[in-house]
Amino acid sequence: MPRIIGIDLGTTNSCVAVLDHRGQPRILVGEAGERTIPSWVSWSAAGQITVGARARRQGITNAEATVYGAKRLIGRKVNADDVSWFARLAPFRIVAAPNGDAWVRVHRQPISPQEVAAHVLRALRKIAEDALGEPVTRAVVTVPAYFDDAQRQATRDAGQIAGLDVVRILNEPTAAALAYGAHRVREGRRVIAVFDLGGGTFDISIMSVENGIFEVLATGGDSALGGDDWDRRMLERVAAEVGRQFHVDLTTTPMAMSRLREACEAAKQTLSIDRETRLSLPFLAEDPRGAPINFERTVTRDQVEGWTKDLLDRLEVPCRRALGDAGVTAGDVEEVLLVGGMTRWPAVADTVERIFHRKPSRGANPDEVVALGAAHYAGILAGESDDAALLDVTPHDLGIKVGDSQFAVVLPRNSMLPVRARRLFATTADNQKFVSIELYQGDSSDITRNRKLGQVVLDDLPPGPAGSARVELVITVNVESILSVTAREIRSGRHASVTIRPSGGLSQREIIEIIRRRQTEHASLGSPFPEPLAGAVRVTTRDHMLSKPDDDDKP
Amino acid sequence: MAEGALSIKLRCASWQQLATIYKRDLSRGAIFLRATTPPVIGTSVRIDLALPSATVIVLTGVVHVHVSDPQRGAGVELLLDPIPTGSVWLIESALASEYKRRTTPAQGTPIHGSPQLPGPTPAINDSADVSAAEQDLIKALMSEAESMRKLNPFLVLGVGYEATDAEVRAAFGELTKRYHPDRFARYESAELRNVAEEIFILIRDAYRRLGDAVARTQLLQSLGKPAPAPHALPAPPRPVPLAPPPRTPRAPGREPGPIAVANPTRPAGRDPAASPAPAKRRSLPTQPPPISAPLDVSPLEDLIDQGRLDEALAAYRVMGKQHPHDRNLRAGVELCEGLLALAARDRFEAAQRFEAALEIDPSNERAARQLADMRRQATHERKGLLSRLMGKKEP
Repeated sequence: MPRIIGIDLGTTNSCVAVLDHRGQPRILVGEAGERTIPSWVSWSAAGQITVGARARRQGITNAEATVYGAKRLIGRKVNADDVSWFARLAPFRIVAAPNGDAWVRVHRQPISPQEVAAHVLRALRKIAEDALGEPVTRAVVTVPAYFDDAQRQATRDAGQIAGLDVVRILNEPTAAALAYGAHRVREGRRVIAVFDLGGGTFDISIMSVENGIFEVLATGGDSALGGDDWDRRMLERVAAEVGRQFHVDLTTTPMAMSRLREACEAAKQTLSIDRETRLSLPFLAEDPRGAPINFERTVTRDQVEGWTKDLLDRLEVPCRRALGDAGVTAGDVEEVLLVGGMTRWPAVADTVERIFHRKPSRGANPDEVVALGAAHYAGILAGESDDAALLDVTPHDLGIKVGDSQFAVVLPRNSMLPVRARRLFATTADNQKFVSIELYQGDSSDITRNRKLGQVVLDDLPPGPAGSARVELVITVNVESILSVTAREIRSGRHASVTIRPSGGLSQREIIEIIRRRQTEHASLGSPFPEPLAGAVRVTTRDHMLSKPDDDDKP
Repeated sequence: MAEGALSIKLRCASWQQLATIYKRDLSRGAIFLRATTPPVIGTSVRIDLALPSATVIVLTGVVHVHVSDPQRGAGVELLLDPIPTGSVWLIESALASEYKRRTTPAQGTPIHGSPQLPGPTPAINDSADVSAAEQDLIKALMSEAESMRKLNPFLVLGVGYEATDAEVRAAFGELTKRYHPDRFARYESAELRNVAEEIFILIRDAYRRLGDAVARTQLLQSLGKPAPAPHALPAPPRPVPLAPPPRTPRAPGREPGPIAVANPTRPAGRDPAASPAPAKRRSLPTQPPPISAPLDVSPLEDLIDQGRLDEALAAYRVMGKQHPHDRNLRAGVELCEGLLALAARDRFEAAQRFEAALEIDPSNERAARQLADMRRQATHERKGLLSRLMGKKEP
């Protein structure tokens, strides 16, 4: 049985872990000793791709060709509210793909966020292969609980591009709860909260845990709030101070800003433990007379807390709303788990304590718990451990179009997967020849606001007055959110069926095209690391799909 | 095994021979060996039993008693150590499919098994490939799904009609750990995962219908009418425990084996599953249960609950003579026969009896539940075997 790795593919940082031989999840460490890598990808003018910390450093000098936050774009339309917010903020171009998906443009080349994420996944896979000394082809990848089918599928597609068969998409709060061992605390049903304040996003999830079964009751958060905001506040303050003191505008000097930001980030980390620290930046820039600026300053935790007080205030409302959505009070929550590096900040932990009236639980390393949980579940899937089972639910209502634009829900959201629903329909016109059943996903009663998934047409119905032909519709959704729909006319037994896979925006053909392109690029660059074809190790239908276009494309 | 164990090689030339050995000897945890100069009592013996499919099963045991059987001649009776479930299953499934092959009116295939006869379940041996074991697990899961479809939600989850929310959730949790499709993600076969998914959908639907007290009460009311209501609610029939591993004495009163194996002589500590049966024997009433109300079978079911299967069977038969067309009674006979077969560890016979009971009376909950339990156990064993096979395949 090949090993399955667990991956936390984060907005700002990513991490990979595996179950070791004693059944303990363990973070896999890169060559330079890094336990997490920044989810950054940079393209040099020559087309050389760098990933991780090096890419992030290039974000200063090569900002237009350095992409971060691909997770904010993956599986999204370019006109979504928070995508346009991110597009205004990001130094790189975000463009619309022909189908309206949000892509990035680097060196005039449109690139899908799936591809960007695949570069990060590939880097993680390489770390895992180097650490384990064996090929790695299967992974469990985590996503936020609120990700919809398109975002989840796009994440799977990113895995496929990176040569990883994504065996399971796992919710981040669930992974964190697994890593904390929240399912082993005691018998009976418990309500827990997972408070995840990462680099770029804030997520709060209310979950119930019983008998090793996890259920996400409600989620909330603020996708525009994270540790980066704390860094940015510090950077703005300090840069302004340098400006006043030395009469220079540092923002025009990318190298200086880069150094200052790294210094601020380090200072923030120190201040999570100590009450004060020292910023020391010799030769930061030149003043108007050409003299070097040697900047030195003491920063205290109190000062930083003063600069960022409003950020703390933004934590409370989403928590209250999530509690309300879950139908529980703060008093019902038995445990609050902290996830994400920013929860190390004492004021954040204090805020959590104030909201939930209890001291939050702190893992050894909040940056790593999600990846550790993913590795734990990977072990369960591989049959190496079996103390938990995860139940996924449908994220949105699933139904069909009735009348002109009405939405009849067949499977309400939060239905536990896998699930099967049956509905009986009658013809509405005399001698109706066929029925066309259109499937939609969404939470609006107005069908035009929901997403069409596909349709199934049943024709050659037996003639008769309206209502005489009865059609039974059976919808099955499996754990991978793949929909099988069958329509059957009861009397004649005629039936038609269709299988709908969630689409992440890229077709199988496009994915294969990306993989092939990547392989030829590698060949021309003479890379020492040959890329195996995605999923090539496992004999699945996917392989057939992969090989077919290859043959077609042969000149 | 102690040093100086006798090593014996036995070869079953045909499936029938294996069936005989299995029914007559193995199923009671002992085996008769012919011997003109019997070894000392207490000698350790190792038997390499070669099946017609060329698989070898290793049995170990000790010489228990010297016997001289008029039909089989002089020899020894060996008490066997518990036979690994994997091996038992191997034999049973081979026999079962061989039986099926024989009973299906084939084009006159010679039924006398010959050594060359390929095993009906091909290549289920330790070196067999995983896919064969997967196929077998699929079959087990399919029959389990089929028997589950006939059960009401309480029976699917295996909880009593009086179960609380917490009990329902706990039962669901236990089944989820076993049947959630993720538990089958490790197997290559997509079909396997699909069948598991079918079962899990049945489980989740049952859970959804029992998940809260209101829905449960409604369901109870709707069940109240068509259900045979064997007792006034609440207690549903508790399943008679499955043949306890590894060995129980045969059900008292049923044709004893050629040699009565006296359980108490087993060395202490070797058989933790001490049987409660002997104690029950003593409380045997001297007359059959009262037959007053013609169709009130609850006294008989009480007998079943108490494990007094022979009495229950006799009573069902007596009553059945008086009411020859009563389906309850006819199904009851099959049920008792099935339970007795189960107690005698003849799972194949038991399954057939339960099926027959269900055919006569599709609403017979006990038979449905027994069948579901047996199939669940079969699935479980196959899963275990498959895991071991896959483990062995590891380089």
